[in-house]
Amino acid sequence: MSNGAPPTSSRPPTERAGLAAPATIKFSPEQLAEVRRLQGLYPDARGALLPVLHMAQDTFGYLSLEAEAYVAGLFGLSPAHVHEVVTFYTLYFQQPKGRHVVGVCHNLSCHLAGAQDILRHFEARLGIARGETTDDGRVTLQAVECLCACEAAPMAQVDDRYEMQLTPEKIDRILDGLR
Amino acid sequence: MPKVTIDGKEIEVEAGANLIEAARRLGIEIPHYCYHPGLSIAGQCRLCMVDIDKAPRPTIACNTLAADGMVVHTETDRVKETRRSIMEFHLINHPLDCPVCDQAGECWLQIYYMKHGLYDPRMTDEKVHKPKAVPLGPHVMLDAERCILCSRCVRFCDEITGTGELGIFSRGDRSEIGLFPGQDLENNYSGNVVDICPVGALTDRDFRFQVRVWYLDTTKSICPGCARGCNIDVHVNRKRPHHAGGRRVARLKPRFNDAVNAWWICDVGRYGFGSVDDESRIRFARQRGQDLTRDDALGLVIAALRDHAPDEIAILASADLANEDLFALRRLAEHRGIRQVAFRVPPATPAADDDFLLRADRHPNSRGAEIIGLDGDAAAILARCRAGSIKVLWVIGHDITAAGWPARDVADALEHVGSIIYTGTNDNGTSALATLVLPLAAWVERDGTFTNFLGRVQRFRAAVEPLGDALAGWDLFGRVLGALGGPVAGGRAELWFRELARTVPAFDGLSYQSIGDGGAMLAGAAPTTAPEPPARRANAAASVAEVSR
Amino acid sequence: MAETVLMRNFGRADSHTLASYRGAGGYAAWDKAQTTEPAALVDEVKKSNLRGLGGAGFPTGMKWSFIPKSHTGPVYLVVNADEGEPGTFKDRYLLERDPHALVEGMLITARAIRSALGFVYIRGEYVQPWRRFSAAVKEAYDAGLLGRGFDIVVHRGAGAYICGEETGLLSSLEGKKGWPKIKPPFPAIKGAFGQPTIVNNVETLCCVPPIIERGAAWFAGLGTKTQGGTRMYSVSGRVKQPGVYEASVSITLRQLIERAGGVSGTGRLKAVVPGGGSAAILTADEIDVVMDVDGCRGAGTMIGSAGVIVMDESVSIPEALLVLARFYAHESCGQCTPCRESTGWIEKMVHRIVEGHGRKDDLDTILDVAKRGGGTTICAFYDGAIGPYISYVEKFRGEFEALCRS
Repeated sequence: MSNGAPPTSSRPPTERAGLAAPATIKFSPEQLAEVRRLQGLYPDARGALLPVLHMAQDTFGYLSLEAEAYVAGLFGLSPAHVHEVVTFYTLYFQQPKGRHVVGVCHNLSCHLAGAQDILRHFEARLGIARGETTDDGRVTLQAVECLCACEAAPMAQVDDRYEMQLTPEKIDRILDGLR
Repeated sequence: MPKVTIDGKEIEVEAGANLIEAARRLGIEIPHYCYHPGLSIAGQCRLCMVDIDKAPRPTIACNTLAADGMVVHTETDRVKETRRSIMEFHLINHPLDCPVCDQAGECWLQIYYMKHGLYDPRMTDEKVHKPKAVPLGPHVMLDAERCILCSRCVRFCDEITGTGELGIFSRGDRSEIGLFPGQDLENNYSGNVVDICPVGALTDRDFRFQVRVWYLDTTKSICPGCARGCNIDVHVNRKRPHHAGGRRVARLKPRFNDAVNAWWICDVGRYGFGSVDDESRIRFARQRGQDLTRDDALGLVIAALRDHAPDEIAILASADLANEDLFALRRLAEHRGIRQVAFRVPPATPAADDDFLLRADRHPNSRGAEIIGLDGDAAAILARCRAGSIKVLWVIGHDITAAGWPARDVADALEHVGSIIYTGTNDNGTSALATLVLPLAAWVERDGTFTNFLGRVQRFRAAVEPLGDALAGWDLFGRVLGALGGPVAGGRAELWFRELARTVPAFDGLSYQSIGDGGAMLAGAAPTTAPEPPARRANAAASVAEVSR
Repeated sequence: MAETVLMRNFGRADSHTLASYRGAGGYAAWDKAQTTEPAALVDEVKKSNLRGLGGAGFPTGMKWSFIPKSHTGPVYLVVNADEGEPGTFKDRYLLERDPHALVEGMLITARAIRSALGFVYIRGEYVQPWRRFSAAVKEAYDAGLLGRGFDIVVHRGAGAYICGEETGLLSSLEGKKGWPKIKPPFPAIKGAFGQPTIVNNVETLCCVPPIIERGAAWFAGLGTKTQGGTRMYSVSGRVKQPGVYEASVSITLRQLIERAGGVSGTGRLKAVVPGGGSAAILTADEIDVVMDVDGCRGAGTMIGSAGVIVMDESVSIPEALLVLARFYAHESCGQCTPCRESTGWIEKMVHRIVEGHGRKDDLDTILDVAKRGGGTTICAFYDGAIGPYISYVEKFRGEFEALCRS
């Protein structure tokens, strides 16, 4: 196990694919090697399923049924078992998502700090309701449960960043920065 | 062996038994949904709560092993109150559509509500809606709103067939069972998920909307679909014949037998009974298309056997016949000195064993036919027919025009035979060419025994009346034998079996009583157990690999 | 003011780096532990009165001692960094600002329980903390601290509150949906991948190096009779200075609110959640409670993950309950019937009340349903949910009734 490399289990969700699903669902040889490395980190290869699904989502944009079946094949699992996992966790997208994902916390501390107003401001600025994606595929807006940054309420996750102490002005600046 | 006390009664159970099984042995039923003795413990329905001395609150019985000195109470006020609560939770989002639900009458939601629930519903908000009437493959229909998410069906596909088609998707009260989109539930054991579904979520596409279950009668039987001889119950509809267009056999259900099939049967067997109520059933005897009375037809058979030399007569018996039938036929052949008797007609497309219960040999009684001594050379009989040496060919059950023999040889043989007698349950290519046709009772229409491929002799029982003039094999052969002056055992299947047990050493000591509901082994045959399901074998192989890694 | 133990390094420049951690005396406890017998490490932690800081408050040393002595196969150490309890954010601080404290805590714990492989399960949304911690793990490998008898795999979750429950976490780590596992067997007997496993919270393990370095008696002396040490209180809601505060577990809720600058908004306190969303709510009269496991238990609530959410008089309690009811309905894993069915039902009832369509008997139904479901499920999720269901309605019934049709 001590191969020197830090055995962290997935790439960060930095580069996001666009709305369109790629024509072919297939990892590159380098990615397949990474899948095998991840599978080797766990006493049972299945332990790597969540990290590999993250990888598949980063690569293919979202987890289409084809992507689920492809990943199932990499693990020798029935596609139904992969589907159980994909439908259970909120960070896996079964539909194409925007290039950027904004998750506005609406749990208790953020609620006390005006999370509903924050959500409404996002909705108004983006012209969509929570749960929707802008027509240009730029932003998917979600209301999410506690992100555990309650000291900085109201807050939201924008891609992999936490944006704290949101105000309408700050939201406008954030959205202006999303291409 | 731990000794536990349940509701004041003490019982010793084998180590590893849980409290549901221990209580069952005392005749105490602990209500449950997700627990099934053939599957792993899920513990998610939360219904099987019992009070255990020294435990602070009720505990689920399914995941509690009986331990020495344990004192268990299944009917305390606290347990009863907990059950009522759990029943309410199970029914909050249930559509309560019993009047249109096929499961009504055998639904454990209904049964336990009446026994343990009986509260006034308080849920007035909109229920959660989920997919309804979703076909899951050729045999199973899903109503996700009726599902209580006990996960039995999911565990069946994971742990028994190893096919893993089903899953529980999403979470919370949006959770629903289903298939991976685009996939079908088409493993050969899919019908079992309907049996183990405690509610109306999974119903049988073949059975649904045919007849209400309370009109059904149940008869213990043996599946005639292959040489395994899975134990089954035959459910027949005699009370409301107009409900299913005259279909008498409504469905087959597995009957537990740890030595043969445990809780399961395959779809080939389960859905293979269609011929019983098919239009092709032969109801009356006929000669070249003209109906005959039974006596006239029997008279013609008797005459044919009497008026021809034994070596001009050949009989193609069938491994679909019961031991009693085969024994009566053997007596008849012996009495007339007929030596050309065989039963193995090759199938047109040879099947293979599957990896669990289904055998390549799709006849229920080959072993019986073999031991009773009818195992002649069918190909040689065919050759003798072609050579013109056979004047009377008596075909029982087979369609030799659709067998694994070259069609030209069969046509040639039939052309050279003077008189073809066909005896069977259903018309086929051979009956169409026969000079004389006599109806046989189907296996559900009479009593008898089959001997499975491992030598287990098992009883099946009449569930419905024979159609028209059809007779059981032993009866038909016995009547011919009697008319020819031979030794007839009697007018009941059991009497023929008694004679068989006295005559054929392998059956020595067996009786209907000793065979009972579970079957009994032929003398000298090793005791059997149900085969390990494929998923269990795979898991065992995996853990061996784990150890050796 | 109590001693700063867990947050001692937060103020240092580049506190997340190995150099900074070493500069502050880091890994000295590990040096000491390497010459200490595993059993002695377990004893020391037992004597320290350290109790799990993730929520359940179980004595840590006792948990470690549950690994069967006769077991010869692998033992796994799993770190619960799936922080998700509403109102709690301390583990995020530790992962970002002092990741080596966790690595060191894991090294010592692994020696104590004879584990060669540890997993750190970080919630999927924690991308920054995950990067920080992964970088620290890489530094530790490069420095030869890891990879010599103990390895760490950093695992990212994918968004599910239930994976903070220790056996839900193990199911998720095994590549499944996060359904908690039926007990028995308990994880110490049969946990991750079927092997004996100890699951500890981030903050809990960060307490281990100071205990080993400075001794159990010192740590025990920081706290109360039944719980040693300090802990990190996450304080949010209507306070003037929300944030994470380290204090002895003997601090009272009143003192803690004062440390966070006092009540904001109207300035008049209405209610406080003392231990994360799943803790029963306390009224303004109940805040002299001592903020340790037993103190909160005595007050009919729980310290849980020590997430303190303060509500001033302007806060609508029914609306606050609706937020939590929606949360529990959303996060119930769906495995056990009582939780799956009633979280949704209760959300519908509370929603109806807040919208002005409630009936007064709805309140009795909520209380009855919550009480009946309590204690009937595989995991503690639903027992957590009924904390707010029952306490919000019972303690602020008038406010609910005012919204209901008569």
